[in-house]
Amino acid sequence: MRFSFGRDVVLENVSFSVEPGETVVLIGPSGQGKSTLLKLMAGLLSPSRGSVSIEGHDLSKMSSQERETLAKKVGMLFQKNALFDSLTSVENVAFPLREVAGSSVDEGHAIKVAERFLDAVGIAHARDLLPDEISGGMQKRLGIARALALDPQIVFYDDPTAGLDPITSRKIVQLIMDLRDKRKSTVVAVTNDMHRAYQLADRILMVVDKEVIDCGSPAETQAFKDPRVAQFIRGLLDGPLTVQA
Amino acid sequence: MNGEQRLTWNPFEMLGFWLIDAWAAVYDFLSLLAQTLMATFTPPFRFNDTLKQFYFVANQSVLIVCFCVTSAAAVTIVESSYHMKLVIQNDSLVPGFAALLILRELGSVVMALLITSRVGAGLAAEVGSMQITEQVDALKMLGINPIRFIVVPRFVACIAAGVVLSVVANLVCLYGAMLVSTWKLGYTPGGFITAMQGFVHFRDLIFAAIKGAAFGSVIPLFSCYFGFRCQSGAEGVGLATTNSVVATSVSVIVIDFCLTYVFTNFY
Repeated sequence: MRFSFGRDVVLENVSFSVEPGETVVLIGPSGQGKSTLLKLMAGLLSPSRGSVSIEGHDLSKMSSQERETLAKKVGMLFQKNALFDSLTSVENVAFPLREVAGSSVDEGHAIKVAERFLDAVGIAHARDLLPDEISGGMQKRLGIARALALDPQIVFYDDPTAGLDPITSRKIVQLIMDLRDKRKSTVVAVTNDMHRAYQLADRILMVVDKEVIDCGSPAETQAFKDPRVAQFIRGLLDGPLTVQA
Repeated sequence: MNGEQRLTWNPFEMLGFWLIDAWAAVYDFLSLLAQTLMATFTPPFRFNDTLKQFYFVANQSVLIVCFCVTSAAAVTIVESSYHMKLVIQNDSLVPGFAALLILRELGSVVMALLITSRVGAGLAAEVGSMQITEQVDALKMLGINPIRFIVVPRFVACIAAGVVLSVVANLVCLYGAMLVSTWKLGYTPGGFITAMQGFVHFRDLIFAAIKGAAFGSVIPLFSCYFGFRCQSGAEGVGLATTNSVVATSVSVIVIDFCLTYVFTNFY
């Protein structure tokens, strides 16, 4: 698969697969295309060449009806949470239930299910607050609750711990792992926090220099020979990677 | 293509890049228009959202529209009376000419420009903010078509509100003109209406309503178009808002010219 913005190539000759139930973490320096790769996998962007398939179905060849069906199987937490700022916390979580499930879910039931999700992520007390009225950590939790509202089999997390303190980060990753284990879902997450990557991942992929390097399990990643991987995971200033301050 | 690659002083390259950008912009707008029309006439329909938008556009704009068109009518009456007296020594044609000007141009165009600044600017900022905070992507991830969810209810509501506001604005404008004529020029209300009837017909009101619908349709299209293209940051939202207001205002003037030209064939 290849992806470019105009003439600016972001990803080239990228090829990998994620097994059902697996948790894959994407790491790599800023601006190398991790979030772009996640959006390509989620079908929000289309590759310039090649294809992205989910459960054997090429996303670019899907009809809008097939896309809608797929949307129920896929959830995503965005980097900036992408919460609907005019809706309260409970309405944000009830929104996908109401909109996607449609007439099969009545308003009262959607709200009850949404309250259960808020409770599961530990922010039941923020039920009637707007996203702007809650903290960054609570917004992440709310984003996770909304991403999981339709009980997706595949969940994408774009930097779920960005901007959070270490304790909250750990709690968020623990929450993601608990929900993953409970639902047996497949998880693909982007993070630059190596502690959280090791905590979460079955397998780690590094996005760098337009390519994706399969680093293997967290233990294998720590012993990986590629100097770019070694420099990145140890946070060294000297090495082949140039730092964009 | 990123900005770095566009740094060139070669005039042919600059022209080439400009043409590519212009074509991409036109293509994107036509694509938005086609998708909006397709979603407007195919289920599922979002009646509640459309009603909510209609209330916002029509009901909450009616006072400001009435106030502004009445002011415009007063100016029209006073100015035309002054100039007619200057040229033909009497102002007996003022009600007819003023009514013609109001029905064929003033009522609908002033209404459309007011709605552009009140509703269009807000909509461009709203969609722009949704775009840069990834709320539009969140809708897509939920399998919700952003055009069906955001654009179509506003498109339908603005067309309906354009018709209603255009008719209301014209009637209020005529009433304002009659009041000013009575107070300033010494007409009786009956005299004003009789003088007016020689010049205007019911079809003028129908044409005004058609103009209102046409103006109403472009407001959400341009606002959403620039909102969806919004670049990140507060500056991006500001630019999207400015561009949408400018593009909509220009298109209102152009559409007004085209429709007026077409309608002249029916007189």
